[in-house]
Amino acid sequence: MTPSPDSSLFLLGTSHQVANLNERESIALPSDSIDSFYRGLQELDGLKECLVLNTCNRTEIYGAAEDNLKIEVVSNYLAEFRDLDPEFMIQKTYRRAGPEVVRHLFEVASGIDSQMVGETEILGQLKKAYDDASERAFTGKVLNRLFQKSFQAAKWARTNTGISRGQVNLGNVLCELARRIFGQVGQCRVLVVGAGEVAEGALEAFKSRGSEAITVTGRTFDWCPLSRRKPDELAQKFDGFTLAYSKLHDSLHLFDVVLASTASAKALLTHKQVEVAMKKRPSKPLFVIDASVPRNVEEAASTVENVYLYNMDDVSAIANENLQSRLTEVERCRTALSKRALRLWEQMRAQPSLPS
Amino acid sequence: MNLNDVTSLLWIATFCFGISFVLGMVKTRHSFPYGLQECPFILIVIGFFLQTRALYLRGIEVHGCPLGNGLERTQFILWSLILAFLLLRLVWQLNLLGTFCAGASLLLGSLSLGLKDWDAPYWKAEGYTRLFQDPWIELHASLAIFSYGLFCLLAVVSIMYLSQRQTLLSRKPGFLGPFLPPIQELEVAAFRLLAVGVTFLSLSMVVGTMHWTRHPEFVSQTKLAVTSALWIGYLVLLGMRMSNRLYGSRFAKWTIALFAIALLSLSLVSSKQKKQAFHALPLQPLALNLR
Repeated sequence: MTPSPDSSLFLLGTSHQVANLNERESIALPSDSIDSFYRGLQELDGLKECLVLNTCNRTEIYGAAEDNLKIEVVSNYLAEFRDLDPEFMIQKTYRRAGPEVVRHLFEVASGIDSQMVGETEILGQLKKAYDDASERAFTGKVLNRLFQKSFQAAKWARTNTGISRGQVNLGNVLCELARRIFGQVGQCRVLVVGAGEVAEGALEAFKSRGSEAITVTGRTFDWCPLSRRKPDELAQKFDGFTLAYSKLHDSLHLFDVVLASTASAKALLTHKQVEVAMKKRPSKPLFVIDASVPRNVEEAASTVENVYLYNMDDVSAIANENLQSRLTEVERCRTALSKRALRLWEQMRAQPSLPS
Repeated sequence: MNLNDVTSLLWIATFCFGISFVLGMVKTRHSFPYGLQECPFILIVIGFFLQTRALYLRGIEVHGCPLGNGLERTQFILWSLILAFLLLRLVWQLNLLGTFCAGASLLLGSLSLGLKDWDAPYWKAEGYTRLFQDPWIELHASLAIFSYGLFCLLAVVSIMYLSQRQTLLSRKPGFLGPFLPPIQELEVAAFRLLAVGVTFLSLSMVVGTMHWTRHPEFVSQTKLAVTSALWIGYLVLLGMRMSNRLYGSRFAKWTIALFAIALLSLSLVSSKQKKQAFHALPLQPLALNLR
C-alpha cells in the first residue's frame, strides 16, 4: 500500500467541536465493529492508507489516497456503516486536506484540541489507534511518518509549553469532585465497571490519593476492547479486588464512587437500579461517573436523592473552566505547532512518494 | 465610640461581622498576604467579645439574663451561634463556616438593631423589679436560647449543604463550591448539631415545665402551644433523621424552615405578666420569658 506521488492526505472526523454527545454517540464506531469498518474502507477505490481514531470524544479517519478518491466517498461509507443521513454527516463532521491534516493531528496529539485542554490520555489513544492500523497493515509511508512526527510534536508541546500544567487530567478532576462530596478521597470505596483507559487513569488518581478499597468488575473478564486489558489485571495493578459482574447491582450500595467505562451500547445502570441501591444507603452520597460513549448510566439516575452523576461532557466542562486562565498558553502552543506542521508538510511534499 | 453603651457595642460587633463576612467571601477567590490570612476569624472573635460585653452590660441593667425584648433575644441567639461556631472550630477547621455565621450575624444583627421597637426599655417601666427572679427560669431561658443558637448554626450548615449540593448538581465549578466543606461532612455536622440542639432544648423544656406546673398562671396557652410544637417539631426531625426517613436536601430544607418558624415564634407569644406590666409598650416577642 505505497501511495503514489499524486496521492493526497485527508481527514474526516467529528468531535466535541462540531457535535454534541448524542450526535457523537451516533457517529462513534462500536468497538466490535472496527474490524468490519476497516475491511470496508479497504475496498474503497483509491484509498491507499487509512487509520481510524475512535475515542469517547472523537471519531476520525485519517487517510492517504489517490486524487480520484473524494472525501465524500469516505463520508458516505461512514454514514452507511452507521446508518446515518449523509446530510447529517456533512453537518456534524469536519473535513481537512493537506497541511491542515498535519496541523490538526499535531493539535489533537498535544491535547489542545481535546475537551479537557492539555489532557494526556488522547496521546495514548492515538498511539493505540496507530498500532491497530499498523498491525492491520493499513498504514504506509505517509501515515507512519505523520503519526510518528505527531507523537514528537505532542512531547515537545508538553515539555516546552504550559498546556499540561494544572488539573486537566480526568482522574484529578474526578478526585476533586469526590473530595467535595466525601471529604477524604482515600476513604472512598471505588468501583470501576469496565477496564478502559479512562478507568485506568481515574484509578491512578484515586490510588495516588490513598484509596485502598478499589474494586473492578466487567461484563467480561476476557479481553477488554477499549484497553486490551482484562478487568482482573486492572484490579491487580491497583491492588484491588474483582467483583463478578452478576453481583454488580446487588453490591452497588457498598461503594461510594462508581465509574462506568465500558463499550456497552446499552445502559448498565438504570434509574431503578440506582434507586434500589440508594435505599440501602439513604444518607450516604453516591458519586457516579459515566465515562462511556454511548452512556452506560441512565441520565434519570441523577434525579435520585444523594446521587451525583457526571458524564464526560460535564467533567470536561469543569476542567476547561479551570483552565481559562491558560488560554494564552494554548494559543502560543497552537502557533508553534502550526509552524512545525507546515515544516513537516513541506518536507513530505519534497519527497516524491508523498502526497501533493 | 462608647464602649459602655449597649447599642453602640452591638453595632460595632455587627460591623465586625460584616467586614469578616466580606473578607471571607473575597478570600475564597483571592489569596491574602501572609499575616492577613486570619483577619476574618479575628474580626469574628472581636465581634464576639463586643457582643458579650454588650449583653453583660444589659444583663446588669436588667438584673438578669437579657432576654426581655426582640433585640436581646436576637442578639443572644447570635451570640450563641458564634459561641457554637468557635467551639466547633476547635475540632472542625472550617473558615467558610465562620464566614457564613458572620453573614447570618450581619443580617439578623442589623435587623434587630434597625428595628427601634425591638429594644423597648422594659426594665425602666414602673414596677419593674427583675426580669428573672427564679434562677431555674433563668437557666431555662438561657438553655433555650443557646439551643436556638445551635439551631441557627444548623440552619447555616444546611444553607452551606444546599449550596454545595446545588453546585455539584449543576455540574459546574461554581463560585463557592470548591471552597465549601464536603457534602457528607456537612450532613454529619448537621445531624450532630441537631442532636445537641434538641438535647439543650429538651433540658430547657424540662426546667420550664417544672416552673409551669407550679405557676401555670404565668404561661399563656399560645406560648405553651408554640414552644411545645417547636420542641416536638425538632424531636420529630431528629427521629426521622435517625431512622433515615428524612435526609439530604429535604432534611436541610426542614432545618431551615423550623429555624425560621422558631424565629417567628419569638414575636408571636408573650407571657401574661409581661403584658400586664408593660401594657403601654408595643407588643414584644416573649417566647422564652416564663415569668
